[in-house]
Amino acid sequence: MEKSDEMVTPGEILGRATDLNAGKGAYVASKNNTIYASLTGFRRIQPSPPGSPDQKPTVEVTGHKAHGPVPEPGSVVIARVTKVMARTASADIMCVGPKSVREKFTGIIRQQDVRATEIDKVDMHLSFRPGDIVRAVVLSLGDARAYYLSTAKNELGVVSAESSAGATMVPISWTEMQCPLTSQIEQRKVAKVVS
Amino acid sequence: MEIKQSSSPTSFIDSTVVPGDVVLDLSSMTNQTIKLGGGLRQDCDAISAMKAGTLRFSKPNKYWIESSQKRYVPCVEDTVLGIVVDSKADNFLIDIKGPALAFLPVLAFEGGTRRNIPKFEVGTLLYLRVVKANFGMNPELSCTDASGKAAEFGPLKDGYMFETSTGLSRKLLSSPTCPVLEALGKKLSFEIAVGLNGRVWVNAASPDTIVVAANAIMNSESLSTAQQIIMVEHLLKNIQ
Repeated sequence: MEKSDEMVTPGEILGRATDLNAGKGAYVASKNNTIYASLTGFRRIQPSPPGSPDQKPTVEVTGHKAHGPVPEPGSVVIARVTKVMARTASADIMCVGPKSVREKFTGIIRQQDVRATEIDKVDMHLSFRPGDIVRAVVLSLGDARAYYLSTAKNELGVVSAESSAGATMVPISWTEMQCPLTSQIEQRKVAKVVS
Repeated sequence: MEIKQSSSPTSFIDSTVVPGDVVLDLSSMTNQTIKLGGGLRQDCDAISAMKAGTLRFSKPNKYWIESSQKRYVPCVEDTVLGIVVDSKADNFLIDIKGPALAFLPVLAFEGGTRRNIPKFEVGTLLYLRVVKANFGMNPELSCTDASGKAAEFGPLKDGYMFETSTGLSRKLLSSPTCPVLEALGKKLSFEIAVGLNGRVWVNAASPDTIVVAANAIMNSESLSTAQQIIMVEHLLKNIQ
């Protein structure tokens, strides 16, 4: 049972907290128990799922513009390493989960988040190189410049990398990848691909 | 003049090569381990040159390209002369004539602790050792040798610093002693520090000596041994 869509803007009152639950794009102001919209979009009311303790319908604001996915703490992201420095590596986040992002997000992998064991002996240059594709998990929203990412699990780390000769390397262990053209072995923190 | 066919690899050794020349063919040299030094690149079975210079070979199996440039590419364990550009909380920023500024950690001195961090002014000349030099990252330097001792590293006081090409720096550091240094050393007494990044520092008791030594070194780059000795004698005549 969806009501007809009316356009709402942030700050508009959508209803009372006593009658409705706040869903996506809406929030409850506890001072006066009213539900306000926080996004621009169409106001939609969803009936409450059966079996929930309170039988209030949920009001949500569905955006008329589809936004790309945004990294959240705990989500697995695919990122491309842009810069490797002494204690951190910067990466551009390209995908959140299975979807690619619409705008640029930057992430930082700190020396202590590269792996789970012996974290103070990590050499960033032997874990990542500029241009590597890594799978990482978002630790937190970080600071104003970048999300904090972590590769400290077996299935996280470098997924694809190019050797200095220009060929895509083949992983041979969790620390090494080999170039198929020159047979040179380069060190990376390799992700264990679960087939 | 006969034209040599470049089918055998030995024809390129000690001769000038340019980028793109295939200097070695691995399919004709089986069961050998070859070590490739700077300036050479492997493309499956062909070794080709990446720099313009002379191909050198040293027994048993090392090949590399020697060339002289004004630009320095940082390598691990090189000794260089750096100039302090800035100081941050954890590092000094040092210019070593490379593509990026190098970092000198404030604790990388003999007996260095948080309490006795040296204060270097911007412009101080330091004799340093390269610890880490990875592509794309800023190089890391140190004022100690591998075992942690000071070993002549650190600030250089007084004297005069001038810039040279990397090839001349390597010649000055080669053994047996470079002819120009030997000829100067017979008549003058002076102190010299050579950085592989193309910087040389000379110090002596009197300014005349410093100027003569610096000029002699700068002139000696393209001269043969005999010519260097003649040039040094000529310069020394002027001050005595």
